[in-house]
Amino acid sequence: MNQVLDLLGDLLGLVFVLVCLGLIVGALVTGRGRPGVNLREIGAFQRLRREVGLAVESGRRLHISLGRGNLFGTQAGSALVGLTLLDRCARAASSSDRPPVATSGDPLVAVLSQDTLRGAYRSLNVEGRYDPSSGRVGGLTPFSYAAGAMIPAQDEQVTANLLCGHFGAEAALIVEAGERKGSLSVASSDSLTGQAVLLATAQEPLIGEDLYAGGAYLGAGPVHAASLRMQDIMRWVLIAAMLLGALLKLGGVL
Amino acid sequence: MKKLLPAANAIIAVIAGGLVLLGTFFPTLFGDLRQYLLQWAIILAALALWLGVLNLLSVHWKKVRQKETGAGYSAVLVFFLLGTIAVVVLDIFLWSGGPVGTWSQWVFNNLQKPVEISLLALLAVVLAYAAARLLSRRNNTFSIVFLASAVTVMLLMAPVYFLKTPSILDPLRQAISGVLAVAGARGLLLGVALGTVAAALRVLMGTERPYGG
Repeated sequence: MNQVLDLLGDLLGLVFVLVCLGLIVGALVTGRGRPGVNLREIGAFQRLRREVGLAVESGRRLHISLGRGNLFGTQAGSALVGLTLLDRCARAASSSDRPPVATSGDPLVAVLSQDTLRGAYRSLNVEGRYDPSSGRVGGLTPFSYAAGAMIPAQDEQVTANLLCGHFGAEAALIVEAGERKGSLSVASSDSLTGQAVLLATAQEPLIGEDLYAGGAYLGAGPVHAASLRMQDIMRWVLIAAMLLGALLKLGGVL
Repeated sequence: MKKLLPAANAIIAVIAGGLVLLGTFFPTLFGDLRQYLLQWAIILAALALWLGVLNLLSVHWKKVRQKETGAGYSAVLVFFLLGTIAVVVLDIFLWSGGPVGTWSQWVFNNLQKPVEISLLALLAVVLAYAAARLLSRRNNTFSIVFLASAVTVMLLMAPVYFLKTPSILDPLRQAISGVLAVAGARGLLLGVALGTVAAALRVLMGTERPYGG
């Protein structure tokens, strides 16, 4: 009996993934995933875009903090979104005297951040601008990472700090270091503790799934917009399923 | 070659990701293969750990050499990083203790732990200051509700000497932390879960390639 239930659960999970995939492909095919279509305004991304422009003009740099999540668990999603945002920022600020710097608390993510930066510069034919030290490990424990990420936030003429990844309460230290230098802080985390702390400390916090919308808002391509569309639809499906479940429970059916 | 390598990277990533996903849903068919792929990934991650340490060392050594702002702190970091590695290596080869040997533990307990605890203490001050600043920065209903509920729950949970929390306030604390907060947290986590699925699917579709693809 347990084996049958496990199999049913697995199949349900596979169906869920396939439905999500189908919705993304559907949005791409029907053109509903066009970048910029039906996107509500998120102030954090508007300010970030402005700050990228200012960074280029003023010869200052952006600091993208990718958190301390690894690629082996559920934290991988936020790390991947962070890398997408790093790519967008690197492209937008490629003509700046000071290219963006990325810090992470996981060595694999740090290697990927170097690859992302190199790839962005290569595609723009400015590979000479790539500096391996612009993708770096901040530290390997939560607080050592915070201490490591505070250095660029404070000492490297940063105009905006973008925190995007897995953070706990230690994120407050990174944000505060940037605030003392008067730089903008746009911050998000996939952990609840991190989100609560960032809501109180960051100038522009991104709460919940706003983090995952970054690619669509910064023009990372139609697939990002299509996957955002999928998230919107699936959210309503899940809400309906939960309400139905609650009603069935109330009615004594479940 | 310049075009072939990124394409090969993408194909390997998509196939490996697809097999790991199938292994999750059909453990009897693809479970072993999934296990192999994950083991390879873990070995690569261990190698990346070394790369990360070398990266940390090179970034701070460069700062020391070029006498950049904060070069003194970087010098301290380089000194203690090399020192810690030396202690652990000596612990392995001379004293047969390894990373959990006496001297390695001494470094951890007497150097790293106190520094991290002091940062934790600093965090409490930073958070208190941020809470006080929140209303001046974003004076809206959400900020007021956020602050009021945080302060209420903290007051009702914090141990106050010689005073017991009046039992009539217990249901309030339960209602905030056990019902409202849990409902909100589940809503946020659902959004995070959907976002994670979307990010994973983009990698599996080969459209998101942070690996030089």
